[in-house]
Amino acid sequence: MDTNITRVLRRELLRIRQHSRYLILMSLGFIFVFVFFATMTHNGQPTKLPVAVVDMDGSYLSRRLCHEINATQGVEVAAVYNNHNEARRAMQRGQIFAFYEFPSGTYNDLLQFRSPHFVLYVNSAYMLAGTLSYKQLATMGMLATGAVQREVYRKKGFNDDQIMGLIQPVEYDTRTIGNPWINYGNYLMTTLIPAVLAFIIVMHTIYIIARERQQKSLRRWLASAKYNPYAALIGKLLPYTAWYLLLGLLANLIMFGPMGFPLKGSWLLMVLNTILLVTAAQSVGGFIASCIPDAPLSMSVGAIYSAVSFSLSGFSFPVDSMPRIFTAVSWIYPIRHYYLNFCDIAIFGNAMEHCWPRFMTLIAFALLLFVGAPFLTWQLKISKQKATA
Amino acid sequence: MFNALKDIWTVFSIEVRRVFGDPTVLLIFFLAPIIYPLLFCAIYHNENVEDMPIAIVDEQPCDVSKRFIHKLDATPELSVAYRCNTLGEAQRLLEDHQVRSIFLFPHDFSTRVAENRTGRIVVFSDMSSFYYYKAALTGGNAVLIDEMHTIELQRYEQAGMTNEEASIQMQPVVMENTTLYNPSGGYGSFFLPILLVLVIHQTLFLGICILAGEAVESRRYLQLIPHHLRRNSVYRLILGRALCYLLLYVPLTIFCFWFVPRWFHLPQLGNLYTLLIFALPLLLAVIFFAMTVANLLVRQKISPMLCFVFLSLVLFMLTGMVWPQQSLPRFWYYFSYIFPSTPAVQGFVKLASMGAPLSEVRHEYLTLWIQAGSYFVLSTLITFAKNYLRQRRNILIHRLRQARNA
Repeated sequence: MDTNITRVLRRELLRIRQHSRYLILMSLGFIFVFVFFATMTHNGQPTKLPVAVVDMDGSYLSRRLCHEINATQGVEVAAVYNNHNEARRAMQRGQIFAFYEFPSGTYNDLLQFRSPHFVLYVNSAYMLAGTLSYKQLATMGMLATGAVQREVYRKKGFNDDQIMGLIQPVEYDTRTIGNPWINYGNYLMTTLIPAVLAFIIVMHTIYIIARERQQKSLRRWLASAKYNPYAALIGKLLPYTAWYLLLGLLANLIMFGPMGFPLKGSWLLMVLNTILLVTAAQSVGGFIASCIPDAPLSMSVGAIYSAVSFSLSGFSFPVDSMPRIFTAVSWIYPIRHYYLNFCDIAIFGNAMEHCWPRFMTLIAFALLLFVGAPFLTWQLKISKQKATA
Repeated sequence: MFNALKDIWTVFSIEVRRVFGDPTVLLIFFLAPIIYPLLFCAIYHNENVEDMPIAIVDEQPCDVSKRFIHKLDATPELSVAYRCNTLGEAQRLLEDHQVRSIFLFPHDFSTRVAENRTGRIVVFSDMSSFYYYKAALTGGNAVLIDEMHTIELQRYEQAGMTNEEASIQMQPVVMENTTLYNPSGGYGSFFLPILLVLVIHQTLFLGICILAGEAVESRRYLQLIPHHLRRNSVYRLILGRALCYLLLYVPLTIFCFWFVPRWFHLPQLGNLYTLLIFALPLLLAVIFFAMTVANLLVRQKISPMLCFVFLSLVLFMLTGMVWPQQSLPRFWYYFSYIFPSTPAVQGFVKLASMGAPLSEVRHEYLTLWIQAGSYFVLSTLITFAKNYLRQRRNILIHRLRQARNA
């Protein structure tokens, strides 16, 4: 077999064998990010968040609440302070994320039905830690007051069913679809890891094409494809497609396999989704590199483009809640379409009829490579002009 | 002393010319720190999810459920988009992303409430983004608490209590919540202060690495430096270049740390003077850290953009603003102190968002100075060692040539 594509392919494999440094580095980088997130979030949620109690009452009640808080998995009483200022300063230093304040006389007021006030202060500059410690402490507080109410009603002769009806007339039963344990690792990794992969692919694709230009081997590269830019690009990118596809599929396999993240729909669609993400990202990289004839400039454009991809994928803050224009801008990121497909496949178990428009979009992204290809010939022309000038 | 200053000045002016002569570096140094804060502030302009569409399934309507649904619709977070007859219908809407949450009032809801027992409402929430879940939770809880009081009051009346008695029994303890530093719990107010510091950190770091890579590629740099600097006074070389980056970044830091938060109404409790005092070790630590890494690893002009940009995400997670430092695995906690970004973000958020005085961020402030000092020493040693090795090699080559000629 000796077609244009195979000749470029053979040349590229040789180049990889001689200069494998960056391919190895990028793969290690990807593996590092994977291991980083996996080890960081292996508990599912941050545990033992430090909180404090300002106990101006010093009664049995406040001490009991401390014990009960310590018994939970999520939060831990790191300190007991005597006044508000000490606690506030600890909060400003980031040592605690929330604190309860019991004014003096709390317990006596409670026994005499004088509705004492508890105040719960929460530091929400730390998003996750603040929200979680708030949730835990508010629940503990509710339980504590509920316990007091229950005692009173028992003495009045109500039975337990009636008491529950009085204390809690309505309650929620929450079902979280696609993430039943509210596991942050599941939430973060399933989208972040492919996003990092797409980022690496875009940058690496620009790099390998820019490198040809820097080493002044653009002509030799195109010549090996008989000056057919389409064949030149396909042959050059094919080995990387295979390699990054392997990494991407492996990452998904580990996440949905041993790590146990739920995948409700078909794994075949997930594989297809990953394949299309890899090719789309390569194509975007190839397009940028073909259109911009300056190596450092094309790398910066790639970096500036990719740096926003994490935000506009919409998995942290929903795109539909951003100003309207960003809904349109988010379309230029393959990871956005990957993420929407992921939601359909893994969370809702939807099949092809939901995903196909986005699969089509991703295929359109892959075709972008061929839009950019003629510019390579143009680049060759201007580099020749420069050389003769 | 005078000689040292003169040398530093020479290196400084060479470096300024290099920065302004390179369009890529200009792009990274000046465009990125101005564009990114504005862009991200625009992206996160709406702090929370508002009027999220939900579906209602009310299997046996009653007064309570009707009132409840009405109140859900009235919350800023939620808006009732569909009323369905069956759960299956609602679930299809959820699967089609027409709604982000379902509130199901089961058929026994009305009888349970009428019998003074606990009525249960089932909430299905789309977990594709935590913000959908949060909106359902916040809006739903506000209505729940409100409605609980109304129902409780009715029940106490039925039990023959007066209003006053009832209100005491309903709330034996009054719980007040005070949310500090980010009262609306918005994503922007949380994320943007971190981003501002990371943008300064990453652009400065990247720019320095690119300049170093360019110097290696063109092999011109050493020729531009006075000859005697190459041997024993390497520190003057490091200081001169650091001074250049520092002066360039002071106005950018003021822009990012002072003007952007004001324009976009981010939490602002710090004052400019404190922020600048804090920014000095921050910039120095980043500059010397970048020089150390660049001296050790960078060989090409374009490879830093390939290798370092995507690691911003790791730096973001290591700052401890998302996953708190106290819950980070020990290894990652110590690892995070390699990077100036960790104390920089922690310190900046405490100063700017939480209004802490400088004395409360002593830990971060000292860490930054220690990092600045250590990375200065490291980069000097590395430059010195590299120059020394290069000279030894040149001498060897020279001798070999002489031997061959002889």
